[in-house]
Amino acid sequence: MEEIKKQITEFIATNFLFDESITLSVEDSLLETGVIDSTGVLELVAFIEETYGIKIEDEEIVPENLDSINNIALYISQKLSQVSAGQAAN
Amino acid sequence: MIPIKPIDPAISLVHHFLERSVRLYPDKVAIVHGKARVTYSEIDTRADNLAHHLLSMGVQKGDRIALLMENCVEYVISYYGIMKAGAVAVPLNSDLKVEGLQYAINDLEARILISSSRFDKLISGSALNTFGLTHLIRRGSPSPLSSPDNVVAFDSVSHQSSGVDDQEFSTGSRELSDSDLASIIYTSGSTGGPKGVMLTHRNIVDNTFSICQYLHLTEKDIQMCVLPFFYVMGKSLLNTHFAVGGTVVVNNQFAFPATVLKEMITEKVTGFSGVPSTFAYLLHRSPLAVSRDKLASLRYVTQAGGHMSKAIKEQLRRVLPSHTEIVIMYGATEAAARLSYLEPSQFADKMESIGKAIPGVELMVMNEHGKEAAVGEVGELVARGSNIMPGYLNKPEATNKALANGWYHTGDQAYRDEEGFFFVVGRQDDLLKVGGHRLSPQEIEDTLMESGLFVEAVVLGMPDELLGNKLVILAVPSSNSCTSNEVMSFCAGCLPKYKVPSEVRFVKNLPKKTSGKIDRKACLALFMEADRRE
Repeated sequence: MEEIKKQITEFIATNFLFDESITLSVEDSLLETGVIDSTGVLELVAFIEETYGIKIEDEEIVPENLDSINNIALYISQKLSQVSAGQAAN
Repeated sequence: MIPIKPIDPAISLVHHFLERSVRLYPDKVAIVHGKARVTYSEIDTRADNLAHHLLSMGVQKGDRIALLMENCVEYVISYYGIMKAGAVAVPLNSDLKVEGLQYAINDLEARILISSSRFDKLISGSALNTFGLTHLIRRGSPSPLSSPDNVVAFDSVSHQSSGVDDQEFSTGSRELSDSDLASIIYTSGSTGGPKGVMLTHRNIVDNTFSICQYLHLTEKDIQMCVLPFFYVMGKSLLNTHFAVGGTVVVNNQFAFPATVLKEMITEKVTGFSGVPSTFAYLLHRSPLAVSRDKLASLRYVTQAGGHMSKAIKEQLRRVLPSHTEIVIMYGATEAAARLSYLEPSQFADKMESIGKAIPGVELMVMNEHGKEAAVGEVGELVARGSNIMPGYLNKPEATNKALANGWYHTGDQAYRDEEGFFFVVGRQDDLLKVGGHRLSPQEIEDTLMESGLFVEAVVLGMPDELLGNKLVILAVPSSNSCTSNEVMSFCAGCLPKYKVPSEVRFVKNLPKKTSGKIDRKACLALFMEADRRE
């Protein structure tokens, strides 16, 4: 989980944090702080799908899953555990 | 010209919309925002209180008051409260940076800014007192700001009773006339900095009546608003629904469209409005298709804010419920929002058209001799009507150019067909000279979008010594497997040789303005930057 947080923070810092005055904590809303917009969310989704090999359903693109570094890390961890549980069952 | 049918002939000022609805529907929910459901009565009372406070600060008729806030209940209270005080509401773009904010405050000679805590850093870093700002009315937790000298809490001034025994605060009618300024809205100018479009009460009132008329809006209508109020399109959603006593659902989370769709279903929304990128995004990555059966109340969607490709329109038609009408619209800030619309019954036959003039507006295609162009002849689209601005703030030259010969010059190239429908072929400024040809990139972009290979695509002109411009494509592919060869062979198969771009580059998103319109200059810079890196 900490490793995921680190990777997500790095991705966001590299791709969205152009405004140096913004200091972002892991609980901050990416949307409300102006860090991310519609296209940014698409980039984030593509990054998560590619990096972690998981498929994000359209219904899952919601703030509860993707609007803060904490939420993103938790969401990815849960998706990864679902994937491993599925593989174990097979 | 089709005449405007006023909802109520007694309405001559913009805040009369609110005051009429509070008389007719005092306890009706006017705004839904998150968990907040606020009635007309509460908004009107708080707007009255704010207006009293502004007057107690010495605000005079015509003073410009800047408004820098995200869409929220307080925004609505401020907008109408400012006008009730006889002042001019100046909504500012929430993406402004220090220079932009300083420019606006200076240009407006604004003494008062109404804002929210989200903009604290921007405001404190802008030294606005040096540009004449003396007062800040701020929404949010206690202020950490030390400048300007006078900072007051929005809640305290809007909740504080005026002490006028609940009597309706009726400034306006006594002191204001419909030819007085109601609002100034900045548009990005290609040259000479942003232009403040001055709009009178009459401009906005008539345009609002006209929109209500052709969309058949009633008090039963509930609008999902994801567009910012600081642009005319978002603002017209607010004014039209306040004019009829409807409800506006504010949702600032369009980046998560599933959330917006869910709220559209629970709130039984009847109308949704977007710009082309709104719909491109909805169709690309949202549960719209699987939600369609739950959108039983969705009466219509409207699209404005620039040209949307035929491919997206057709896809939208397939995905939306069959009872939901699609209304294509066209307008400009200088027209207080709207100039034309396409009757939904004509959508299938005239999908590429911007329709015909709305009530109260005359549209004409003007040829290079200043005369009406013949059917099919391309010229500049010009308009006149009671919704057209009196001019730009502090920019007489730009005003004279935009309003030359009694017409508002849109800067769009268009033609009219034999049935009187108008078709915009592109912006005059965007036309590209390629070899001996003068091309509209829009036409090539439409063809590209038909391939299904792209979420969005823009055709640009790279300076070229031989051709003047070399056509190139900057695009967001629909799939990661899309290749340059695939694109080029599609182009070669569908476009005449002189319209075939020479190169394509893929990006994760196209740079856009806050209006959602594609920023062609930034796209070209991005393309060239990618070029340099290689």
